[in-house]
Formats: sequence, structure tokens, C-alpha cells
Amino acid sequence: MRFTTIPTASKRSRATLAATAALALASTLAACGAAEEGGGDDEIVIGISLPLTGDFSEPGKGIQRGYEAWAEYVNANGGLLGRDVRLEMLDDQSSAERVAADYEKLINQEQVDLVVGPFSTRLVIPAAQVAQDYGYLFVEPAGAAPEVFEEGFENLFYAAPAVADDHYKLLAEHILSMPESERPKTAAYASMDDPFAQGTAYGLKDALEEGGVKTVVDEVYPPNTTDFSSIAAKVADSKADIVVGGSQYQDGVNLIVALQQLNYQPKLAAFSTAPTETEFAEAIGDKTQGIIAPTGYTTKADYPENQEFVKFYEEKHGEAPGEDEANAWTTGQVVAAAVEAVECAEPDPECQSQLIDWLRENEVDTVVGPLSWDDKGRPQSAHMIQQWVDGEIKIVLPKDQAEAEFIFPKPAW
Amino acid sequence: MSLSLLLQSLILGLLLGGLYALLAAGLTLYFGVMRVVMIAHSAFLILAAYLAWFFTKQTGLDPLLSLFITVPLFFAAGYVMQRALLSRLRPATLTMMSVLLTFAIALVIEGGLGYLFSGTQRRIQLGYSGASLELWGARIAVVKLIAFGLAAISLLALFLLLKKTRFGQALRATIQHREAAQLLGIDTDRIAGFGFGLGLATAAVGGTALALDATIYPSLHWHWIGPLMAIIVIGGLGSIPGAAIAAMILGVTQALLQIPMGTTWAQTVFYVALFATLMFRPQGFFGGRLAQRF
Repeated sequence: MRFTTIPTASKRSRATLAATAALALASTLAACGAAEEGGGDDEIVIGISLPLTGDFSEPGKGIQRGYEAWAEYVNANGGLLGRDVRLEMLDDQSSAERVAADYEKLINQEQVDLVVGPFSTRLVIPAAQVAQDYGYLFVEPAGAAPEVFEEGFENLFYAAPAVADDHYKLLAEHILSMPESERPKTAAYASMDDPFAQGTAYGLKDALEEGGVKTVVDEVYPPNTTDFSSIAAKVADSKADIVVGGSQYQDGVNLIVALQQLNYQPKLAAFSTAPTETEFAEAIGDKTQGIIAPTGYTTKADYPENQEFVKFYEEKHGEAPGEDEANAWTTGQVVAAAVEAVECAEPDPECQSQLIDWLRENEVDTVVGPLSWDDKGRPQSAHMIQQWVDGEIKIVLPKDQAEAEFIFPKPAW
Repeated sequence: MSLSLLLQSLILGLLLGGLYALLAAGLTLYFGVMRVVMIAHSAFLILAAYLAWFFTKQTGLDPLLSLFITVPLFFAAGYVMQRALLSRLRPATLTMMSVLLTFAIALVIEGGLGYLFSGTQRRIQLGYSGASLELWGARIAVVKLIAFGLAAISLLALFLLLKKTRFGQALRATIQHREAAQLLGIDTDRIAGFGFGLGLATAAVGGTALALDATIYPSLHWHWIGPLMAIIVIGGLGSIPGAAIAAMILGVTQALLQIPMGTTWAQTVFYVALFATLMFRPQGFFGGRLAQRF
């Protein structure tokens, strides 16, 4: 029995399970008389619940655009296994209770052939639980925080290059491969007390410490911090060779300005998220030169899948896709690759477990490059590293995707 | 801990304290004049910051020039707000009801900013945002120095206005004993309106000073109202010099505590000081009796 193998199934989820089992029975009985709701022979129905209203509605709509574009693209190119793809979308209003009920409904009542994930950790976990209870494959476009992979899900795959801890993987490798004489010796870290932001900085910290780069400052600040002058004073006073920020947006910007005010000139400055935002250059002005940031997606990556995606999306929407759209598209690609390989897309557990097993073993080419996963569903790839060069942010790592040379040491800001 | 870090933190603390003093000045004035708890004060700070940002974005001129527009505008808005809204609250429940009323105003401002400028976080791009002067090995950021200068000038002007002018005398008389002031022929309603306008004018200056060195977003005011309330209670409600002294002490303490304790714990200094004040000296450390607070 699949249910008994869930190590973290809580009492609450068992209760839900009992209730849904009863519901399932009732709906199966009801369905006997009615026409079959799921996809017939000519179409594959994919069930999705998304936060189209509420807290996550902005990214939720981005994910929706990505899924819709992907389905259109697939149908324009002959469908999946020769069948058309139809998306069955529900709005979970950004609520964790609602998202679980939505997936119950999609799987039980609508009997969809496949399900894919919603946006963000908070909704991904309850949704993945429901999918696991019914033995469904669950590929998700957002939910990079460590909790997602610590729940013991056996059906979950995160369709992005890397979890938070690995965002700086390429940068760590690059720094540690420098000749001894050039390699930075000391590092200062400042990160927000947030699982995602801190995960990025601490991933790099762990890698560099192992490689012999000494940590001289390790500051963690609460998310509501707005004054960064004291943290900057500590970093500047340590005269660390490099500074790393586990930041989101305003904290990264404020810290960078505070460091500039103290005339601290590191050899390398890396910040997560903030430097990739469109507002960044407007806020910092011309003092961006050399600032580094990891990025999960850029339209400029020249994987053939990505070029096709960008072209298709731009023709449809008249603007370039963002990271949310790309992650949804990637999710579609991953599911499609499994379906094509196993040649099935049915609700029955046999087919679903074949899909899961196939993804465990194989690599999929996507818009964010080739992806493969470990046994917890963590993607094994890495984020690209971008750097601000002459007023523009450009890919510098990995080398085969680079648009510009990695600049080290960083010019003064 | 090195000596240079100590000096640097001390300077940062003084600069921060100056900004706190400016931001809190209006808040303590409202309470002094009218026993009004003005939750929306920090929302007006953020509004002024947004106006400074918008002014610079549209005209390309220095954000400090926006003060010529925002200061009179906020003074007028304060006068109207006091006459049209706050003066209509029943005196018996004034303090409590003013919390509700100004809370609503804060929400309206926050919502309006979000509607007009979206939730995107903004920052004024200044040529001198990263510039600094050197002093014995420590650095003084130009933007922070300007903010400190604005605070010093505004607080001095406010102090002189209250101490040396007829308007100031009338305002202080209104604060001390409203009925007695009326007997002397002072139009206390108008004076209270002007007092409120004055408080809001300091918010215009404070918000602009804040905008020079901060990333702003509509909900940022919730972050400020707590520390500012703590400052005016510690300084003695209604006392501008008290608020200024409390602000400087708390700013410096916060900056210095950050060296050994880190950001998370250093922030608690406001609340620890607030609890201590309420336990040992509820009238505030620098206020004395309410009637003599100027």
C-alpha cells in the first residue's frame, strides 16, 4: 500500500484521507451513471489549481500564462501521444486548505489524467500531499524552500534548475577553481532571516568554508529591517575580500548603498534576487558595475528549447516571458517528456508510477537546460550566474552560456 | 571589536538618532496640542517620501526642492484634518477615537499609494547616494548628513517658533490650559489647527529626509510607527526636546548594540526602553508634568 509508506503523514491528513476515501467512493458511484468526466481517447486533461486571486495572484497569473502557452504550443505541434492537451484550472485563492480540496476535486471528480503544481511552497506542500495520496505524479513550478523536500514526497519533482542552497553553486565552483594567489581569503555574509534568501547565501558559505575561504562576518537580519548602515559597518570593518548577500529586494539595495557609503571595495559582491529586478539599476544608478546575482531563468539562455519558447511566447503575448512563465513551461516540458517516454497518461496508479519512475532515472531537456532529480525531487542543475557589465546584466557562468567574461576583481563602485 | 568600528557605529548612531528625532517631533506635538494619538503620522512620512520620489522622477531636480511644495501642502492638510475631522471627536473619548480615525487615514494613504504607484519598491536615484566624507578613518554618508542637517534645522526652528513667537506662546497656552487660554482671547480652535498643521509639516520634512537614503514602499509606515511611538513615550508625551533626546539616545544605543548582538536583538532596544519607562517613570524620562513640557 502506497499510503502506509508516507512517513510524515499527519493525523490531520489521515483524517482528510478517510473523508476523501468516502467521498471518492460516493463520487465513483455517482459517476457510474454519468458520462466519464476525464479525457476521452482524443484528449489529455491536466488538472491544475492556481492562486489566481489573493496573496500570490501576481506570480499565480504568471504561472497560468506559462501553462496556457505551453498547452497551446503542444497542441499546435501535434499534441501529446497524438492527443490534444486540455488544462482544467481552478482558483485556490492562495489558500492552503482550498488548494488541497481543489486537487481532491480534480483527481476524484474530474478524474484528470495528470496534475501539475501550483505556485509557492505554502501551496505546493498540501497539493503534493493529495497527489501522493492518490499515487499521482506531481511536477511543480515553484517551491524551492527546503521544507518541500523534507516531507518525504515520493512523487514530487521541482521543475527549475536548483533549490535555494544551490543557487550559487557555479559561483562557488568558479571561486574555488581560481589559482591560490588570486582566490579570495575572507568572506562576509549578510542574509535575511528567510528560508529562501538565507538558503542561497548559506549554500555558498558552506561551499566556500569547505574550500578554505574564511568567514569573517555572518549577519542575519529580520525581514523588516530597513536600515543597513550598521551591518554595512561590520562588513566594511572586517575588510572581507568578498561580500555575499542572501537578499530579496529592498534589503539588497539598501545594503549595497550602505556599503558604498562606507567606501567598502570588495573584490566580489554577490546578492540574490535584487540585482535581477528591473528596478535595480533605477535605484542604484551607475554604480552597479560587477555586481553578481544567480538567476533561475533568462530569456537570453541559448538552449534551443528556450529560444523556441521565447519566440512562441513573444508572438502570443507581445512581450518576453518572465521566470514564472518559464517555470510553468518547464513543468509542462518535464511532464510531457515522461508521458512521451512511457507512452501513457492515465489516472490509474500503474501509469502514474511508471511516469514517476521514469523521471527518477532520466534527464529532461528544458528551457532552463537539462534537468535531473535526486530521490527527494531536488533538481540537480545550477542557477546561471549573471553579472552587471557596463550597465547591463549578463550571463557570465556557466562558460558555455556566457555572454561576457567574468570580471574579477570587481571594479570599484 | 575594533576602535574604528566603534567610532563608525557611534557616528551612524548619531545620524540615525537625528533622523528619529525629526520623524518623532510631529507625533509628540499632536499629542501635546490635542491629546491625539496620530497613527497616520508615519503614513504621511511615507507619502512625503513618495512625493519627493515622484517629484525627482518627473522633473529630474533634487528631491530637497520638493519641500517647497510638500511643506505648505502638508501644513494645509494638517489644518484641514484637525478642523474637519479630529475636532469633531467627543473630548471624553478623544484619545481612543483618534487612534481609530488616524488608523483609517493611514490605511487610506497606504492604499492610495499602492493604487497610484503600485507596490513596487522605489528609491530615489541620487548622484551622491553613495558619497561620503572621511572623519578620523570613519565615513559619514552625505545623504545621512543632509538628513541630520534637516532634522537639526527643523527642530531648532520648531523650538524657536514655540518659545519666541506670539503664535508659539498661544500654542503653548493652549497646550497648558485650554480654558485659560480662551479667557485671554486666544482662538484655541484655530491654534490647535495650526499646531496640527505644524506637526504634519515636520512629516513633510521627515519623509523627504527619509527618502534620500531609503527604499520606499506603501506599507513601509507600519515599520516606523512602533519605534516612533516608543520614542515619544520615553521622551515624555508632548515634549519635543524630550523626544529629541530620547531619539538620539535610542539611535546611538541601537547602533552600538548591533555590534555584539546583531540586528534582530538590537531592534528590541526600543521596546525594552518602553517597558522600563512605563514601569519606572510612566510620564517619560524628559517630560516632567504635561503642563510644563516646553
